[in-house]
Amino acid sequence: MFAVTLDLRIFANNAEQQLQKKSKGQPGEMLEKAAEQLMSCFRVCASDNRAGIEDSKKWGMMFLSNQLFKIYFKINKLHLCKPLIRAIDSSNLKNDYSPAQKVTYKYYVGRKAMFDSDFKPAEEFLSYAFHHCHRSSQKNKRMILIYLLPVKMLLGHMPTHQLLRKYDLMQFADVTKAVSEGNLLLLNEALSKHETFFIRCGIFLILEKLKIITYRNLFKKVYLLLRTHQLPLDAFLAALRMMQLEDVDIDEVQCILANLIYMGHIKGYISHQHQKLVVSKQNPFPPLSTVS
Amino acid sequence: MAANTTQAATTTSWSYGAAADGQVHENPEWEKARQALASINKSQSSAKAAQANRTTGEASQFQPAATDSAAIQQQQQQQQQQYYPWYQQTQQHYPGYTYPYNYYYSMGPPPPVPGMEDQSPSYPSQPQPPPPATPQPPQSPTTSDNPPPPPPPPIPPPPNSQYPPPPSQNAYSANNSMPYPPGDPNQMQVYSHSQGRPNYGQGFQAQNTYQPSQNTSQQQQQPGQYVPGLGRGEANKNKNQKQGQQLWHRMKQAPGAASVKFNIPKRPYQVQCSPISNQTYPPGEQPSGTPSSPASASAAPGGAQTRPQDWPQAMKEYVQRCFTACETEEDKDRTEKVLKEVLQDRLKDGSAYTIDWTREPLPELKVKQSRWEAVPPQRTSDGSISRGGSTAAAASRGRGGGHRLGHYRNIFSQRSPSSSSSRSSSRSPSPSHGRHRDRSNQRHRRSDSGSQSDSSISSDLRPQLSRRSQRGARGRGNDRDRGRGGGERGRGRGGKANRGRRNMEDSNSAGGKKRKGGNAGLDFHDPNREAKKQSRAARFHKQLRSEPLILSINALDLPDGTQEGLSWEDCPIVGTCQDITKSYLRLTCAPDPSTVRPVHVLRKSLLAVKAHWKNHQDYLYACEQMKSIRQDLTVQGVRTEFTVEVYECHARIALEKGDHEEFNQCQTQLKALYKDNPSENIGEFTAYRLLYYIFTKNSGDLTTELVYLTPALRADVCVAHALALRAAWALGNYRRFFKLYQEAPRMASYLIDKFVERERKVALRAMVKTFRPDLPVQYVQSNLGFSCLDSCMAFLTGLGVTFYLSDPQKIDCKTSTAALAAS
Repeated sequence: MFAVTLDLRIFANNAEQQLQKKSKGQPGEMLEKAAEQLMSCFRVCASDNRAGIEDSKKWGMMFLSNQLFKIYFKINKLHLCKPLIRAIDSSNLKNDYSPAQKVTYKYYVGRKAMFDSDFKPAEEFLSYAFHHCHRSSQKNKRMILIYLLPVKMLLGHMPTHQLLRKYDLMQFADVTKAVSEGNLLLLNEALSKHETFFIRCGIFLILEKLKIITYRNLFKKVYLLLRTHQLPLDAFLAALRMMQLEDVDIDEVQCILANLIYMGHIKGYISHQHQKLVVSKQNPFPPLSTVS
Repeated sequence: MAANTTQAATTTSWSYGAAADGQVHENPEWEKARQALASINKSQSSAKAAQANRTTGEASQFQPAATDSAAIQQQQQQQQQQYYPWYQQTQQHYPGYTYPYNYYYSMGPPPPVPGMEDQSPSYPSQPQPPPPATPQPPQSPTTSDNPPPPPPPPIPPPPNSQYPPPPSQNAYSANNSMPYPPGDPNQMQVYSHSQGRPNYGQGFQAQNTYQPSQNTSQQQQQPGQYVPGLGRGEANKNKNQKQGQQLWHRMKQAPGAASVKFNIPKRPYQVQCSPISNQTYPPGEQPSGTPSSPASASAAPGGAQTRPQDWPQAMKEYVQRCFTACETEEDKDRTEKVLKEVLQDRLKDGSAYTIDWTREPLPELKVKQSRWEAVPPQRTSDGSISRGGSTAAAASRGRGGGHRLGHYRNIFSQRSPSSSSSRSSSRSPSPSHGRHRDRSNQRHRRSDSGSQSDSSISSDLRPQLSRRSQRGARGRGNDRDRGRGGGERGRGRGGKANRGRRNMEDSNSAGGKKRKGGNAGLDFHDPNREAKKQSRAARFHKQLRSEPLILSINALDLPDGTQEGLSWEDCPIVGTCQDITKSYLRLTCAPDPSTVRPVHVLRKSLLAVKAHWKNHQDYLYACEQMKSIRQDLTVQGVRTEFTVEVYECHARIALEKGDHEEFNQCQTQLKALYKDNPSENIGEFTAYRLLYYIFTKNSGDLTTELVYLTPALRADVCVAHALALRAAWALGNYRRFFKLYQEAPRMASYLIDKFVERERKVALRAMVKTFRPDLPVQYVQSNLGFSCLDSCMAFLTGLGVTFYLSDPQKIDCKTSTAALAAS
């Protein structure tokens, strides 16, 4: 059975490689065909209930699903990953696959979760992948970090400068700095500067959400400066104007604040009548990591 | 093969001499043989008696034939006589015949028959047990008819019982000697000659028979083809049967004298086999064809499959159906004509078919040859006739052959579609004409065949000739019957022959003695025949059903092939239709230029549709017209700025009316069209695409779309707006989102309308949760882009928002939060 599984893997690999080469001419088509074949293999493996656990074809599931993930991510059909993940999750061998396979699997599952805006599980999977990835495979770790960093930042964990430098991810440096400082201006610059890179990695939209965190940090600064729990909206408007957002009006400030409050980044409420933000006297800006 | 033929020739020479004179001898011999068989197998005794009766019947028939004064008639009679004996023997002897067959079969491999070598490839493949079974069933239809029901059952057991003793040669000789009168070796030989030759002719000598009519070279080719065909013959029953037949022939030939009984069985076999052989013959398509329609092969193996070789299977099957459907000769002729026309038309029209057709002409020759070969095995005499028919020189013969044998006609007809002159000639003569012609032709045939046979292979040809003459006689007397039977083809032949015999017997019933017995035998046969006929009919029906399906598939395939294999651009069509408006019909076949509008007409059409749309706002009409315009453009492979314009126009109209499907179709087309035909509206529709991704929340596609956005495109007003809207949407900045919504350029607002409600709900939820203690409706209205207070109120009340009783213009946020959270 192992031999069969191995053959399946090799076959899948070859098929995928060949088809990926061809896919240059016909993007997607051949990849989809390869995915079909892999999927059929996967079904065979998943439906192997009779063989003993030690030589069950199910051991090939994760490998195949990983290959399928690669294809699906390439052809932008993430919704097809769901049944694979479910099948693996329901497998009792989930934790017994080889570390390499598990790292790959977690990497893709984490990426998928990230794209689905499930940042908590995404962070969990990607962290697992990052920590269990072989220490010599820097390239893989870097790939993991590309997706792990935005998620971490969204959840309030800013990467250190050393980390970014170690993995040659200095594109994140300015972003990190801007977010932590609440410097919207710098953030916008950083994003536009490395936009192509971020877009190619598919994380531009994720990083864009960092703006919310940046607002939060910025407003927190305003709060700290004013040292009162009744904050006039004009103050926030001034802060935003300082960030060269010239077209911002008071309504938009209310909107941003409303979103922050709605998402839990700020504890408080807006008094429309008085044009004031009333924040909680205790911990008005809860730590990001505690905010869902 | 050569060795076989020579042997056959020798045997034939023997038989020939015997044949003329031998018939008389045959009867006593037969009786003896039968008796011997009877002694061997008690169970078969009844059958033997029947056989004896038949033999008597034959004799009686013979006599009446002799009575005929006319020389032609005499010849015919002779033919008939010969024929009859053959038939009777074959049919009657079946019980015994089966024995030898089996023996031979087992024997087959061991006896180093000269012919064996040639066929050796097929040999190994033949499973010994299966061959007997396979040949028997086919025999049963024709042959079983003749013998009374009781005998057939006994027959099968004996073979099996004998079968076990494989000592092939020993058993063989023993069997031969045993069944036949041990005392008369000469008689035995005669028997074998007369009968054995037919077998030969059927199996191996078919080629020989061919030779007289056709060139030797063709004959040689034929054999070669034949063998390959057999070899190719896959595991199909047909193959087995063929092989079995071949084995038979070989075996018979090798033993020579012993093969007498074999010869008898051969006919039925041949009939059955011939179809099979025909099927297998077609070198190219047989393998595929046979597997696809095993039933058809078994049911109507002969005629239908012979032609199809070159044609696609569907075509073959189609032709088969046509022929099977018509029982009378006339019908066949008609169908032939029709088929020709249809096929030719298809050739002209169908591009996909053209390939096949182009191939056909070459294979046709082979096919003909192979058919010929195949034909002879069916009926030894037929084979001779067919030869004459096949050769253009022997056109007259061919006519006669065609008339005489419905099978031949079928064959011809089948070929005819391919455009063989011979078949046309054969077909053209009407059955009635055929009779007269047959007589005259028969004479010619005889002479021709005899000359040919002498020239090519003297001995072999003779028996064939005699057979031919016999057939001819039958054909004359029973042309109609044959023709009817022709519809049934392979198996039907046997039945026809039987009928012919009956008729002959009836007409000839001069001698009452034997005749009674013969009648009895015939009577017995009749019920069987009918049953067989029914079974055949059932088979045909099955085939018919299956075939139509295939046809439809084929018909569908053609357009598909054109569409898929040849893109629209590859086969440009220039429309000629001048109608400005045209209703949309989904194309199910190749487009007709007369219904397709050229571009300059389409331009007018587009303007007309636009004007109509502005004036009437009739979306159904506009959509239909636009679709028809798009279709005409697609059909003509027009991918220009005008095409872009059409799609843009349709996309806008569809967008305005919220027609998702059409809009997306246009968008996908536009995306491809823009690569070749950059339009000033690229930005607009790119923006629409971005907005649509927002609507579907497809962040993946959104990201990929962002990758392809060039700076120039980003600068486009629409794209910039869409991007800004996207950013606002991503951050939940409803304030900015709705501001942008109200500033939407061009028709973007139509697209945003699709998800504006969704965003409003989200925004309102946030607002209600955030603002305390109250929220003025005015503020909501301005922030959420409501054009007026009333619509905002309607929206709010629709969501179950509660207002302060004191001031209905203020939302009670605290209580509304719960309501909104629930919604």
